[in-house]
Amino acid sequence: MLPLEYGRSEDRDIIVRDRFDGFRREFLRTLVNPEVIEEHRQSALGQHSERLERLLIYFRQRPLEQRYAVRAIEPFRRYQVVRLSGRRGVPPRLVDDAIYTSANDARHGLFLRCIRDLLET
Amino acid sequence: MTPVRLFGYTDKISVKPGETIQFHVSAEGTDTAEAQLVRLVHGDQNPAGPGFIEEEVACTANGRWRVEPQFTQVGSFLEVDDPQGRLAFANSFTLFAFIHPTWPASGKRQTIIGRWDGDRKQGYGIGIDEKGHLQFWIGRGEEIERLTANVSLQVQMWYFVAATFDAETRRATLHQVGVGNRYNGLLGKVALVDYESRKSAIFRSKPGNLASTPFIMAGSRSRDAQQRACVSELYWGKIDRCGTFDQALQPAELDTIRSGLVPAMDSLVAYWDTSAGYTDRGIGDLVVDVGRHKLNARGYNRPVRGQTGWNWEGFTDCFRLAPQEFGGIEFHADALTDCNWKATKAVALPHGLKSGCYAMRLRSGRGKSLSEEHVVFFVRPGRPRARIAFLFPTLTYLAFANERLSFDHPEREALTGQSAVLSDIDIEMYMRDDFGLSTYDMHADGNGVCYSSYHRPVMNMRPKYRMPSLDVASGLAADLSIIAWLDQSGFEYEVLTDEDLHRDGSEALSPYACVISGARPEYYTERMLDATEDYIAAGGRYVYAGGNGFNATAGIRDGEPWIMECRRRDDGYKPWVSRYGEHYMATDGMRGGPWKVLGRATQKLVGIGLSSSGGGRSEPYRRMPDSYHRTVSWITKGVDGEIIGDAGLANDGAAGLALDYYDRALGTPPHTKIIASSGGHTDSYVVNQQLVLYSYLGLYGSYDWRVHADMTYFTAPNGGAVFACGSVAFAQSLPINNFRNGASRVLANVVEAFAGAGRLPGFAWVNEEKQWA
Repeated sequence: MLPLEYGRSEDRDIIVRDRFDGFRREFLRTLVNPEVIEEHRQSALGQHSERLERLLIYFRQRPLEQRYAVRAIEPFRRYQVVRLSGRRGVPPRLVDDAIYTSANDARHGLFLRCIRDLLET
Repeated sequence: MTPVRLFGYTDKISVKPGETIQFHVSAEGTDTAEAQLVRLVHGDQNPAGPGFIEEEVACTANGRWRVEPQFTQVGSFLEVDDPQGRLAFANSFTLFAFIHPTWPASGKRQTIIGRWDGDRKQGYGIGIDEKGHLQFWIGRGEEIERLTANVSLQVQMWYFVAATFDAETRRATLHQVGVGNRYNGLLGKVALVDYESRKSAIFRSKPGNLASTPFIMAGSRSRDAQQRACVSELYWGKIDRCGTFDQALQPAELDTIRSGLVPAMDSLVAYWDTSAGYTDRGIGDLVVDVGRHKLNARGYNRPVRGQTGWNWEGFTDCFRLAPQEFGGIEFHADALTDCNWKATKAVALPHGLKSGCYAMRLRSGRGKSLSEEHVVFFVRPGRPRARIAFLFPTLTYLAFANERLSFDHPEREALTGQSAVLSDIDIEMYMRDDFGLSTYDMHADGNGVCYSSYHRPVMNMRPKYRMPSLDVASGLAADLSIIAWLDQSGFEYEVLTDEDLHRDGSEALSPYACVISGARPEYYTERMLDATEDYIAAGGRYVYAGGNGFNATAGIRDGEPWIMECRRRDDGYKPWVSRYGEHYMATDGMRGGPWKVLGRATQKLVGIGLSSSGGGRSEPYRRMPDSYHRTVSWITKGVDGEIIGDAGLANDGAAGLALDYYDRALGTPPHTKIIASSGGHTDSYVVNQQLVLYSYLGLYGSYDWRVHADMTYFTAPNGGAVFACGSVAFAQSLPINNFRNGASRVLANVVEAFAGAGRLPGFAWVNEEKQWA
């Protein structure tokens, strides 16, 4: 492995990765519909349809700095959605003021953010 | 105002009643803490269970403790014992070393070797500047004179480097020559890279020499904000053989050293043969000077030894076979194996203390600013009396100690199939760099962390801790569900730790009729594995109360049980992988990686082994036909219906997180019975990659039958037996419905039978035609 923070200015692999990512996102946008969002709301951690699983697999593979996590303000009571820094030692940052009362609700809030990112960029 | 924070650790984690244990505490924002000894009963705060339970215990140490902030020296390095100052060169000298930088362009200065005090600007050193260029420098207290190479160092490539200084002419030279071969570095011969630099300059002065400056490899003397001596300018990478002369060598002489020879010259002051002193059973922390002054160097924060060296030819893959090719010592500026804090309190434990898991609970502050710390340790019995022992898998706690997978590991979320749920302590630990990393993490230079220690605060060895990547109680917090179950069941039991098992072997287990494992007893030394096998074969009765057990090799050096070693191979689950040639543990010479590859699959020991793992929804078990067999029907007595464990604190089922299965091809004893099996796991569960030869679509829960857990039972020689629960999540199903549930019933049946005197139930049914109830 190379250092966690090495200069990537000469790393041509990033161009290939970004091109693949562009094609992938274009296809994934076609999978988003109300049914898939409702499916996730009902079962964030269950067995999923292929359509939903494809979206989730993509979200889990994003570069760390583009990924979200749930922050437990008070376990089993209050949660928020945060965005990872992807840089060792730098804490995640809050993305909005929404408070969720269960981890599953927060996971769904996180999922909606990922969907929004996918559709808007 | 500084927020109140308390952190602590103990000098040992396994003690007997009446023994003295030292607590090392560091405090921020306060100078006092209220201490209270507590016995930990249950940890997981999941409202579906009993919640957090601790019992306060009388102890003379309870009360107000004075606490203070303590300094932690992070980073691995070697310090030379040079009481006569032979390395305080007042005139000409030469420094040389073989080096393999792993993060040359770190943006920070690094000292490779030298006798340098950066604050006082006194001494000399050879190192790497902020931009990744080799540099030689000297100082006399006011200015620093530097000579810098004109090509940058390549990451993960071997170099011979040397610096000379002629006191008469003031001429300084700096040599950098690549010594890469086909095997020993990142790049091959085909890469068009300039490795070589030779520079010289005339310095205006000679180096100064403070008596207090130590000669250090991989760092140099500095002072922290409180003016305490420390080591900074830490180096990332490997150093192989290195040394010093008290004259300026000529280029031809340096070429001789570069070829692997060291001239037998009177001017040789020190020659550290980094490959000297190896044994087949391990390498210590002392690096030997084979020159006439014996200026040996002592490792700090355990530099990684036995690594491939500059002259490694790739034919042998282990330091035991050709030690002279494995002289690499690897250093990391973020390594930590001992905080070395002053002892805050030495506590004589009460003589009558019940065996169990304990903590010194420390509190300071009030209301929302209350800081609470549980400094955990385990009390084994003074003399074993109970028939049951619970074995805390402390080696596995160590492997995971302070892991930060959810923040740093790009594949973790894909592996668990769920987003991380981070608590405040996770975020705080991620921001701190003074409590070290786990063997699941990588050093910042991208290399895996192979040492973990409990001589530092281990914030995930705390009773309420939840593992963020799975959002479940994990490690100690999960195992306390078994302790709470034992407590409410009324069984008399005592506790042991992996440390005791490694030290005492099967004698640690033999006083007990029944031994119960933790939920994830994953990391085992050879001695621990042998002891467990011998215990069962000699008639011991073993409850494997979890999953993913006995899976990974680990090493512990005698006399230093607080540090565990872990090397990772390319044939198993792994958060990182050791480089080829570096799979063998410096601790004991054993090969790292999964035990399965070494011919000791978990199935051979306890009947089942890892089939798959994942996150998200857990599943129940269903009784299998064998469970009705008269030899074993007693195990499920009192279970209502077919389903076992349809609820739990770990994702609502007894089969989850990591699943183990029966496999005759991997050594499951032939007469093993499958009592129950799980199924219906989601596609987040993926077949253990050790079981497949290729990666392909369909190795997931709803596609591959191997994604399941088996609950099994077999009898062993001399009246012994093994009951295996089959899943990490099993333990967390025990507390459901106030411990009244099918999983709890099954375990109670087994433990009652195992702990009982005499033969096991079902022994009389020997004729096959009468086996079925």
